[in-house]
Amino acid sequence: MNLHTALDRQLVNLESTGQAGLATALDGPRRLTCELADLNALAVSLHRLELATTELATADAARLERIGQSLAARLTYLMEPIRPIEIDAVACTVQLRSNPPQRDDDGRTYYELLVRRGGSISLTRFRKQNQNVRQQVTATITREVLLRLVADLESALD
Amino acid sequence: MLTIERDLRRFRQIVRGRIRDNLRKYVTHGEMIGRKGRDLVSIPVPQLDVPHFRFGDNGAGGVGQGDGEEGQPIGKGGNPQQGHGPAGSDPGSGHLLEVELSLDELAEILGEELELPRIEPRGEAAIVQQKAKYNSIRQTGPESLRHFKRTYLRALRRQISTGVYEPDDPRVVPIKADKQYRSWNTIEHPQVNAAVIYMMDVSGSMTDEQKEIVRTEAFWLDTWLASQYQGIETRYIIHDAVAKEVDEHTFYHTRESGGTRISSAYKVAAQLIEQQLPPSEWNLYCFQFSDGDNWGEDNEEAFRILGDKLLPSVNLFCYGQVESPYGSGEFLGHLQNHFGEEHDSLILSEIADKEAIYDSIKHFLGKGR
Repeated sequence: MNLHTALDRQLVNLESTGQAGLATALDGPRRLTCELADLNALAVSLHRLELATTELATADAARLERIGQSLAARLTYLMEPIRPIEIDAVACTVQLRSNPPQRDDDGRTYYELLVRRGGSISLTRFRKQNQNVRQQVTATITREVLLRLVADLESALD
Repeated sequence: MLTIERDLRRFRQIVRGRIRDNLRKYVTHGEMIGRKGRDLVSIPVPQLDVPHFRFGDNGAGGVGQGDGEEGQPIGKGGNPQQGHGPAGSDPGSGHLLEVELSLDELAEILGEELELPRIEPRGEAAIVQQKAKYNSIRQTGPESLRHFKRTYLRALRRQISTGVYEPDDPRVVPIKADKQYRSWNTIEHPQVNAAVIYMMDVSGSMTDEQKEIVRTEAFWLDTWLASQYQGIETRYIIHDAVAKEVDEHTFYHTRESGGTRISSAYKVAAQLIEQQLPPSEWNLYCFQFSDGDNWGEDNEEAFRILGDKLLPSVNLFCYGQVESPYGSGEFLGHLQNHFGEEHDSLILSEIADKEAIYDSIKHFLGKGR
């Protein structure tokens, strides 16, 4: 069973218990961890999403960059365009962020994806309020978007 | 002539006053950077009222002419005519007066306005500069250095003493033995020198807007430091995950897509100081600019180099954290936590936007070190 199908079932189970928390799914060398702050029949509030895999154990910077570009091309439905911002050849890490970040009167909010050798792909959301330090915040997305996101993370690795 | 000089002096006072009044605007917008010459900057001063001629009545109307009665008010002569077309509705474009100011004058205004203390150079003047000073006379030399007055006097003396000189025909013709030439002595001049090392993060998260802020701030820092020292050596280091020394143009116009490893810039700066700019001979100033998004695991290495090698060697180490579209990173906070108040040569400043440059300069240079 692929990860997004397994996650879908987990979400149904979590919803029936009425408690958010950790949703995990396994598919061969791939392990999906989804830290949920809240969920209902329509949407989830997400602390962090991580797809860990040994497939990236020896990946070089060029491979990670290709994965980053693939993700940038696929993730077109998050309301903010995602672009590779920094490619660190020393640590073999690619950082993607919303570009431009979403601005409002009070500050800026953006997604950050890290593709690391080792390896993993993770997604978090940050908010920088005016005059305040940057903080990690939850991302609120529909369950449909979450499942599509997981499917795209898997596809980018293939 | 004296009146003109007095007027010119008064005019320059007015210009300086206007510049001082608008200094924050000039600092913020950095509009004079592109107008920088070798020693002068050209500054647009829009609010200056330039004296100008006005047409008078040119003798029209006046007293004692015409058929007026006693006690009748005297008006302007001529009949008013109807003009053509309506009045304009757009504001005038205004006239920008450009005034030239030396960099020293500009630094003086900056120092007065920001209340900057004069820098007290650290240590002795260890660098000796040799200069040729034309302060002696020799019998031989190139004709271009011939001292005409001395040569003439010597020839005159010779002619008088030998009886050749005739007051009725006062021709003085120097011969070879009369000729005197200017000559120089080499003097050693102890000089207190300063070196400025600029470091900038050019990783993917630093945009052109952040670099423009760095460029503007560096211009003013340079201007002030150059006014405080006789000789300034400036070096530039850029870094993303790796660092290198570059020239000024490359420094401001490079954009890389690599990650951010601040320790790489510190390493290059420490090498530069060790190999080329020994602290015993130089007053060293480091100015580092980044958006503060250092890759987490690099912080410890950066702090080690900064604490062990850079801070003990420099007069000032200034870190300016320029806010990127993603907000300001955490490096400034980590620096504060790691070094606290124990190093008074470490100065930290958060530069949110162009408006913050003015206060940041004051913060950096306010210690007079």
